[in-house]
Amino acid sequence: MKQGNRVAGHVLWQLVSFVVFFAAWELAGRWPVSAAFPPFSQTALALFEMLADGSLGRAYWITLQPLLIGIVLCGIAGVGFGVGMGLSRSVEWLSLPVFIILQAAPMAAIIPLITYFYGIGLTSKVLAVVFLAAPVIVMNSYKGIRNTHPSLLQMCRAFLGTRRQEVLKIILPHAAALIFAGLRLGLAMGFIGIVIAELLITPTGIGDLITYHSSVAEYSKMFASVASIIAVAAVTLHALERVERMLFPPEIRGS
Amino acid sequence: MLQFGRISRAALAAAALLLGAVQAQAATTIRYALGDVVSVDELPLLVAVERAKKRGVNVVVTAFKSEEIATQAVINGQSDIGQGTPYAAVQKVNVPIRFFYQLSALQFFPIVNTQYYKTWKDLDGQEIVVHARGSGTEAIMRLMEKEQKITYKNVSFVPGSNVRALGLLKGTIKVSILDATNRNYVMKEAPGKFAVLPLGQVKASDEALFATKAYLDKNQAAVAVFVEELVRVNREINKNPQSIIAERKKLGLLKDLPQKLEAEILPYFQEGVQGGIFPNDGGGESAAKNDLEFFKLAGALKGDNLKVEDFWTFAPLKAALAKVK
Repeated sequence: MKQGNRVAGHVLWQLVSFVVFFAAWELAGRWPVSAAFPPFSQTALALFEMLADGSLGRAYWITLQPLLIGIVLCGIAGVGFGVGMGLSRSVEWLSLPVFIILQAAPMAAIIPLITYFYGIGLTSKVLAVVFLAAPVIVMNSYKGIRNTHPSLLQMCRAFLGTRRQEVLKIILPHAAALIFAGLRLGLAMGFIGIVIAELLITPTGIGDLITYHSSVAEYSKMFASVASIIAVAAVTLHALERVERMLFPPEIRGS
Repeated sequence: MLQFGRISRAALAAAALLLGAVQAQAATTIRYALGDVVSVDELPLLVAVERAKKRGVNVVVTAFKSEEIATQAVINGQSDIGQGTPYAAVQKVNVPIRFFYQLSALQFFPIVNTQYYKTWKDLDGQEIVVHARGSGTEAIMRLMEKEQKITYKNVSFVPGSNVRALGLLKGTIKVSILDATNRNYVMKEAPGKFAVLPLGQVKASDEALFATKAYLDKNQAAVAVFVEELVRVNREINKNPQSIIAERKKLGLLKDLPQKLEAEILPYFQEGVQGGIFPNDGGGESAAKNDLEFFKLAGALKGDNLKVEDFWTFAPLKAALAKVK
């Protein structure tokens, strides 16, 4: 009963924080902060309009394609690279600097350059997602493998476990939580990548809605598009975090 | 005597300094928001800016990344005058903004890869690439679609004439619409590979100047001086396109322009003069009417009863034209 109350209280506070935020937004829009800044009510109305006329749905259909392709590619190749780097010193020596540089590079400056090599189509956008998502996925997988508790490895060897058994039964299960967290963070970076690509390469999907509504001064629709992609990214990542908590108990996640 | 001479010289120097300071204070500053990179096509503006400065109107040009940002700067009062054609914003934003001068008219060229297409009719059911949704380039292509009674399969958006030019050269784009500089570039890079499709006369602004009504009312004198200089430069160019090159040299403008671009200055202005894109009279009412018609077709303007006076004000132009003659 006490725990139920605590959960209800927690949810209430979260709701209050949303209400305060939206009320402040409404006030700032009505004040107004700028002639181009719409109040929350107008933005919400614009969001419903775009949902009803199908333009938002069509935009997401276009935006999510390169995002999903990019994340799947990173999920396979990125995790593979990370695991390879964790298990083999030579792969680590060869690849680690590349991913460290990629992680530190200001991607908004690099993404427009992709067009010089891969044009303006889907490939460029998938690459933008990969460039942003891959480093975090690779590095998390690599660290997950490297951080395997030495006592577990010693135990495996004491029981005369083979290298194959050591990798499959000790190292990989142990690293799974960090790899999954890497995929989640990679998806977060992927959302950033696809929006930057759609704003900087060619305006399609959500990027098109943002640039078009900005150019025809329909600011409430522009803000609604921006708010919608933030909401989609936040909800998706929160759901993944819940899945992660369910799959991996705290003792594994914490290690 | 010597002492007195020194004192009087010092007094004279101080007086001159003081006078200079007073003049500097009297000089009005106009914050000018440009939504583009400063390049060859901005030369008339730069010349006018230098000349206005000599007359006590200090125009400070800031180059923003896009027209939208420049427009926002004007709406929010961080810039005084903006350059572009944000008709949609003028119609929708509740800060009264007015256009008052047409800097240049639109001049674009539909380009096709001759390996695939040769005439407008060939574009029926084909994909075309324009600058952006609701842009002038889209409106021109839509206008031709109507005139030629054809239907495009799809219209894609690739911002930047230079990017579309690269796409055409690489073969990723087969049909597009480019500005004069980039049309010349693709024609030179791949002779015979591309053709320009004929276009009816499109009369609309490419770049116009706008400001809030309040600003224009309060700063009539400074704006008139600036507009006067802009009109003068355009008239000189229309009389003799070579004049802009001489002025550039004299005033030391765009010193770091690459040689390749330097060679394009004269052809750009010669072609512009031929195409009549630099108005002698700042556009005025005819430009305003043409713009309303064109941007309605482009989808930027909504509604049927569009009134010129809701978008343009002619007082600064009239004041300037009265002095130029």
